[in-house]
Amino acid sequence: MEPVMILIVGYVVIGGLLASLGAHLLPVGGAPAAMGTATGIATGTVQIMLGAVLTGLFTAASVATFTDSLLLVSLSGALGATVMICVVMFMANVLYAFGCGVVPVSGRVEVDPITKEPQAPYKTPQTDGHGVPNVVFVSGTMGGFIGGFGGALMYYALLNYAHFSAGTAAVVAFSIFVANAILAAYNIRGTIEGFHDPKFKRLPKALVSSLAVSLLCGIVVVLATIILGGAL
Amino acid sequence: MTVTPAVVEEEEAPKKGLSFKLPLEETEMGLIAGIIAAVIVIFTGLPAVIKGVGLLLALLWGCDSVRKTSKYGLGTGVPSIGVLGTGYGVVGALMGLAVAEYGRVGQLYPAVLVGVIVMGAIGLVSGVFSNGEKFIAMKIPRLERAMMELGMAGTLAMLLEISILTGSLSFAAVVDNVMNTGLIALMFIFNCFAMLHPYNACLGPDERRERTRMVSVEISGLICVLMGLALIGLGTSPYGILDGVSLIVFGVIVWVVFFRMFIKACMDECYATVGTGMIKTIE
Repeated sequence: MEPVMILIVGYVVIGGLLASLGAHLLPVGGAPAAMGTATGIATGTVQIMLGAVLTGLFTAASVATFTDSLLLVSLSGALGATVMICVVMFMANVLYAFGCGVVPVSGRVEVDPITKEPQAPYKTPQTDGHGVPNVVFVSGTMGGFIGGFGGALMYYALLNYAHFSAGTAAVVAFSIFVANAILAAYNIRGTIEGFHDPKFKRLPKALVSSLAVSLLCGIVVVLATIILGGAL
Repeated sequence: MTVTPAVVEEEEAPKKGLSFKLPLEETEMGLIAGIIAAVIVIFTGLPAVIKGVGLLLALLWGCDSVRKTSKYGLGTGVPSIGVLGTGYGVVGALMGLAVAEYGRVGQLYPAVLVGVIVMGAIGLVSGVFSNGEKFIAMKIPRLERAMMELGMAGTLAMLLEISILTGSLSFAAVVDNVMNTGLIALMFIFNCFAMLHPYNACLGPDERRERTRMVSVEISGLICVLMGLALIGLGTSPYGILDGVSLIVFGVIVWVVFFRMFIKACMDECYATVGTGMIKTIE
């Protein structure tokens, strides 16, 4: 067995772990956020992560056409995902502020851990926060960056070490990413605000599950590569 | 002083909706759909319509597993588990296609089922981790089995679609015709819809299994139409253009029949159907 094959498993596992970590950092509002009664973007973890990482894969694939640098491809994927998630969070804020007439405010902390702005006085009673306040925005940006980096890392490994065609590499990287992001979503159970949320402490449980699943997926990919002879 | 009489509830016999008598019980459904779809996957020389029937059964099985799991409340919405099944399906299809050449007899590819079995194993592992007390602890009864079934159904559906589009299971043909043309994205999202949409759309206190499954069959009909169009465009079928056309006709018939059946079932089973009229403009 060539050392390159171990690299593929390694990168797939790292990508899976980053996917899981990234999903925990995103501002997921779910159904309550659609009514403006919870902090975050008004949809599930999977949809937010899918949108971000698909954009990331597009930018990574474009950059991979003219460079072989691992860092450059991964960082471009990370930036694509970050831009996407930032635009979504900004537009969510615009809609909440000018459409619903609620201010972005966190429901899980009394004082914003970064800017030290008070949160509790602005929160509508009986709700769990609104919109995407500063700390959540920062956390979401980090989540998009980490998730996009993981997705692009898997894409790079499949493209350059396993020698898949660009389309195959993208679809397989995306599929493994999705499986890990969904395990993270089950760990989050509905809504999360970011790294300051008490639910973030559950992270290790998702990482262990992610490790197992992405290791198995990595082994499957390597077996397929060896059987196909690395020609495709 | 008159006492307002309590509203007398009219005791009506529960309306019998249209039933759709495919294998009724969930285990039977899984076994029958799985075996038929697996046999159809192995015989790649079959006409596209028969593969379409296999696809319909595989997606119906996936939809059933999604329903079984989502009934308990996932916390993240029904779509997540359908997307999980399709994601596993792509990885399983990759594995199946890689080993397909082994033990090949003419147009028969029995080794392709290795991908299905491997994906069942990975699904089982992820189910154990999601349900385990020490890990994610979702506490959903039989989640392990449902995730295993989802992985297998997703892989079978993906392999059947690939088999329809390429007429063989050789990896080079798949890369040329499915991956690099971008059809894989279409297949990914439509497989997701066939598995997750029925329960996502029908869920609620009055959800009925047979009615939910009609939606899945209806979406599979639409997938057949799309596959037929793609097949005509690619021109890979050994039976010529007739193969694609017959698949489109089959898909349209399935869609019309099951869409009508679903709407009729909804109309029959609801309490009342009232029209709201056009939207009034404020003067």
